[in-house]
Amino acid sequence: MKQSLNTTSLGSINSDGSKKNIHPADVKGRFMFWRRAVSLVLLGIYVGLPWIPVNGFPAVFLDVLHRRFHFFGLAIATQDLWLGFFLLTGLGFSLFYITSLFGRVWCGWTCPYTVFLEHVYRRIERWIDGDAPARRRLDAAPWTAEKIVRRVIKHGLYLLISAVIAHVFMSYFVSIKGLYSMMQASPGEHFLAFGVVVFLTFALYGAFSWFREQFCVIMCPYGRLQSALTDDHSVIIGYDQKRGEPRGKASDPDAGDCIACNRCVQVCPTGIDIRNGLQLECIGCAACIDACDSVMSKLSRPKGLIRYDSYTGLQGGKTRLVRPRTIFYSVLVVLGTIAFGFAVNSVKPVRASAVRMPGGAYFVTGDEVRNQFFVRVINKLNEPAQFRLSLDGDMPEGLQVNGLDEMLDLPAMGEAQKTLVLSVPKAAFSGKIPFKVRVTDVDSEMSVLTSQLELLGPESESTPTKTLNAKDYIQ
Amino acid sequence: MDNPAPKDQDPNEPQLRDHVYDGIQEYDQKLPNWWLFTWYITMVWFVIAWLAYYQLGYGKNDSEAIEGQLARIEAIRQKDLEGIDDAKLWELSRDPAVVEKGKATFLATCVACHGPDLSAMMAGAKLPGLPLNDQEWKHGGNPLNVLGIVRKGAPDVTKGMTAWEPVLGLDRVIEVVAFVMSHHKEGEPVTLAPDSPLKEENAAPAAAGGS
Repeated sequence: MKQSLNTTSLGSINSDGSKKNIHPADVKGRFMFWRRAVSLVLLGIYVGLPWIPVNGFPAVFLDVLHRRFHFFGLAIATQDLWLGFFLLTGLGFSLFYITSLFGRVWCGWTCPYTVFLEHVYRRIERWIDGDAPARRRLDAAPWTAEKIVRRVIKHGLYLLISAVIAHVFMSYFVSIKGLYSMMQASPGEHFLAFGVVVFLTFALYGAFSWFREQFCVIMCPYGRLQSALTDDHSVIIGYDQKRGEPRGKASDPDAGDCIACNRCVQVCPTGIDIRNGLQLECIGCAACIDACDSVMSKLSRPKGLIRYDSYTGLQGGKTRLVRPRTIFYSVLVVLGTIAFGFAVNSVKPVRASAVRMPGGAYFVTGDEVRNQFFVRVINKLNEPAQFRLSLDGDMPEGLQVNGLDEMLDLPAMGEAQKTLVLSVPKAAFSGKIPFKVRVTDVDSEMSVLTSQLELLGPESESTPTKTLNAKDYIQ
Repeated sequence: MDNPAPKDQDPNEPQLRDHVYDGIQEYDQKLPNWWLFTWYITMVWFVIAWLAYYQLGYGKNDSEAIEGQLARIEAIRQKDLEGIDDAKLWELSRDPAVVEKGKATFLATCVACHGPDLSAMMAGAKLPGLPLNDQEWKHGGNPLNVLGIVRKGAPDVTKGMTAWEPVLGLDRVIEVVAFVMSHHKEGEPVTLAPDSPLKEENAAPAAAGGS
């Protein structure tokens, strides 16, 4: 007996635990059209970014080998990776924000998993195996020569596409040039990269040829958070029960607008019946809207029996997009954006650090006290730069500075370590002197300071300069 | 089996188990087979990993892996050092490419104490380092003596010549020594400075041999 869909068990898992292959029917409509358009743009961006040069590097190039991360001409060094905190939390929070307003539009329209599955792999399947009934027939058919040929072609194409996607992914980390030279060499020479691409190829193949909606329904944590992220005013995909129920034949005057044609169920890629209300499995793809709209048009009934609307809206109320939750989220988004703006602006093109040279705190030769330091300068820009080094502090008379006199030329993203030797006559040294090293970019006059250093010497505090006078301590 | 499902249960819904606690009942649903299969793999993997790693000792723990890598680095360093002797260093000091690289490093790191012309003088002022362009040496004038001092630092730590091998790495240290030796000629006379520790060392074995 065929079990009808309910909200307590998965439509994509049979009662014996085996996976039910879902074959969504073809659907045409305005949302499908725009989803295809969006997916093409996104696929174009994904494939195109590593090919577009900005400032001599690919538009997005996560150069893990040299620990430099290029985003549209901005080169981020490892030292600036803390910016990633804002990027990741910002992306995560944006997802929350959008979900509170419009439900899971991310899943249905832009998630890479959906884009690859719906607009690449399912297209291939549709092309090789035909429409949904034909695919179901082929699944049930015995292994004839024709079925074998179709299966080999389909899975071959899946593997090919998976390999392409995996290679594009790899090119984000090694650049197209690096990828091409790696592809010319034997796999053993770049075993890690080769292994990653092979793993990704088979992971993508397995995910999109077989695992499919199981990932969204069972593994992806975002869908599980849906109930916490949406409320009665969040716009989701819903069925207008008031208008649709009771279901009945189109000719039945007592029945609602739903004619129980089951089109919305047939087109659903996660195997649910949207008429049971918002469910965990719903990825907000809007296929059921297009399906229902086309049926309603044929019956000359108003569209929108299934539509983007909030729970309140579906009950006949008015959807409020401005509500305490969204106001609070908006404030947080603005604050986060401002913080991110400050953070990005605070990234300096050069980094300077200094440490005392190992060996001794200070050296005494003759009547001179000497301190030795390492000064490390890192040019984070992807163009050569010239730097001027100077001392920043209240330096004593007679200080002899060695090691900072010359200009420091650094190649693009180069770094250098200089030795700084400070000598001061013993007589002029009267206690430790705090100072910093200032590194100035000659072109832009932008400068950075190292952390604080100290000029040390024989401790003069141990010999009090002033005799203790009890009067100083008594008022 | 003994207790059939409640009569009022919706035939479309999965079966309820008869166990009730605090009024809560569970559905009797099967987990997805792929999920169960993944779980079984973790069990099999646990047995393999437990046997191999904890019982039979295959695989290294983190500290062993780190020590292995450090030993590998040390072996490479030793191998690099094997080919280095006085003749090789003199040869490198005549190789303009090596000397040029050494010069760049020298001008960034050593110049602060030894001066750009190795005289340990800068604009008439004495720099902290020892002059390297004359034939008087404190720690010996053979290229290997110089290499030893640059690598390990001066024996007297109060003087300030630090060990450069941890900072620059062996390759760059050798380049710097090649640059320094390019200011000298093979076979030129070497005199030891009056305060050279080598003088005592040379004297001590002689005294010992005489007794």
